[in-house]
Amino acid sequence: MGADPVAAVTGDRPIGVAIVDDHPVVVEGVRAWLATEPRLTVLATGDDPDEVLRTAPDADVVLLDLRLHGRMALDKLTELSAAGRRVVVYSEHTDPPTMLAALDAGAVAFLAKHEGREHCVATVLAAASDRPYVPPALAGAMVGDPRPDRPMLSDKEREALLLWFQSMSKASVARRMQISEHTVKQYVDRARIKYTRAGRPAATKSALLARAIEDGLVRPEEIGIYRSHATHDRPTP
Amino acid sequence: MSADLSAPAPHTVTTEAPGRTSVPAAREPASTARLAAPAAVAQASDRSARIVIVAIPLAWHAAIGLPAVLAARAEFTAPAVVLGAWAVAAVAGAVAGVRLLRGKPLPPWPLAGLLLTVDVAVFAAVGEDQLFTAANWVWSTLGWFFLLALWGRRVVGVIALLSTHAAIALLAVLAHGPDPADVARYVMYVYGTFSLPVAVFVGGATIVSLARERAAVSAAGHVIAAERDAAERGRRDRRDRLALVSSTAGRVLGELAAGQADPDDPEVQRRCVLAAARLRRLIAESDDVPDPLLHELRAAADLAERSGLPIDLVTIGTPPPLPVEIRRRLADPLTGVLADARDWARLTVVSGPDEVVVSLVTPDREGPDATGPPPVEHDDGQVEHLYERDGSIRWAQTQWRR
Repeated sequence: MGADPVAAVTGDRPIGVAIVDDHPVVVEGVRAWLATEPRLTVLATGDDPDEVLRTAPDADVVLLDLRLHGRMALDKLTELSAAGRRVVVYSEHTDPPTMLAALDAGAVAFLAKHEGREHCVATVLAAASDRPYVPPALAGAMVGDPRPDRPMLSDKEREALLLWFQSMSKASVARRMQISEHTVKQYVDRARIKYTRAGRPAATKSALLARAIEDGLVRPEEIGIYRSHATHDRPTP
Repeated sequence: MSADLSAPAPHTVTTEAPGRTSVPAAREPASTARLAAPAAVAQASDRSARIVIVAIPLAWHAAIGLPAVLAARAEFTAPAVVLGAWAVAAVAGAVAGVRLLRGKPLPPWPLAGLLLTVDVAVFAAVGEDQLFTAANWVWSTLGWFFLLALWGRRVVGVIALLSTHAAIALLAVLAHGPDPADVARYVMYVYGTFSLPVAVFVGGATIVSLARERAAVSAAGHVIAAERDAAERGRRDRRDRLALVSSTAGRVLGELAAGQADPDDPEVQRRCVLAAARLRRLIAESDDVPDPLLHELRAAADLAERSGLPIDLVTIGTPPPLPVEIRRRLADPLTGVLADARDWARLTVVSGPDEVVVSLVTPDREGPDATGPPPVEHDDGQVEHLYERDGSIRWAQTQWRR
């Protein structure tokens, strides 16, 4: 692992991906999906996160199957996220509580296994640059979040999440809300950034938040009481 | 929905142990709010009878027995025995009376034994002169004490005790020399001491039994009325659903049967799919399940899937309990769009305590809608219905807000 695990992926170096899954056929399938994107390169695969990361200590993104050998690897997820690893959880368990728990534990994104190649590639690319990506299933979990301490979303953010979950087409959401696709994406991403305040702090959450502020997606005061953990990692503008 | 009319009748209990009563065992339905009143009537009437049964012997014993015993105490063969026996009977009667009124009567046969012992003692101690006077208090009073001891049991017991009482008296009369006049008086006394207590005992028991029967009949009436209400409601529900189905399925089936509709016509096929979906949902509607809305939507999705349409049903959250009318208005517009769907469909339900949003998205196809979106039947602001096509998808959404 590098000295600065959440350092931005820079220049022309391809993005290194590690895949952790206990089903070889899934590993091969995901590898094939990622191979369609020249900016991505798979550095290591296997069913043990520690072993895979020993093989590929410089992996920029870890794709982690949440269920390894019959048990939920939430503790492993927490450990990797705390260490600054950008973990994209992908799982066939798409019940909202599991998805929200993964976000709380510090996962950069949650991808349902049925959501396909396009979302998979997009999620990994976004994760590598500490940018949020919200696939429809995760949008559904966020909009239906029943927890009393859930982040406060604006009406527009909620509407964008709901319509994105329903239609899976940002173009259709944009037409429906009479705004641009870019704005739809902003609403959805802003809602996601608000979730960096849920659960325990993690280096990955700080990185997401810092990048969102850098990109002008959110202002610190929109996130509530802003305790910057990001300042330790990078200067904020 | 409809009540199950084959359900067993309400649980009934017998109020008294077998063999303890001369009255037919009353059937009192289990306590439900509606049945409480008749049972209370039966209880009140039983209590009144007990008060009478307790009051007569004690009042008689104190008001008539005591003065006579005190007045003649010098003339008894053994005054202490007569007075002591009076006191024993008074104490036993008072205790038995209190226990009976509290619903926990003393054991009857030991009490009867004590009373008969008192009987023998007094007849032995009273002396020949006082045998037929009011000072021989046992003769007139003890019969009432027997009622107190045996209340709630069969009348045979009372008759047996009174007969024993009469036999003891006969022995006493004969012991003093068989005088025909005494025997005649004895017969009159026996008649007097037998007839009144037995009449009161039987009369009281009959009144209580009638009250219980009345209570049971009234309770049974309530049960029948409740069952009739439930059946009527079930019939109304069935009729309403039938009316709903007739408007779609009935018409298209009728036209097909009459040859007015062509089964190859895509529009007729669509109407058939729609009618089938509606039928399926109405069947699902009457199922007793924890999440009726999801159950009904799942039924619609199942049907679409069986007709070869890949459909995703994704639910977030649990819908709050919704009346059937709201559920229909949430599901029906989507069923119509589902009947038109080709290639794939995505059905989503997002629920919170105050809001339910159901959405159906399917690919848009060339050409106009076969029938357009289903008409909005009600619009009271509780359920909103949106339908749009944007060239790539058809999007139907219904939304309920509290």
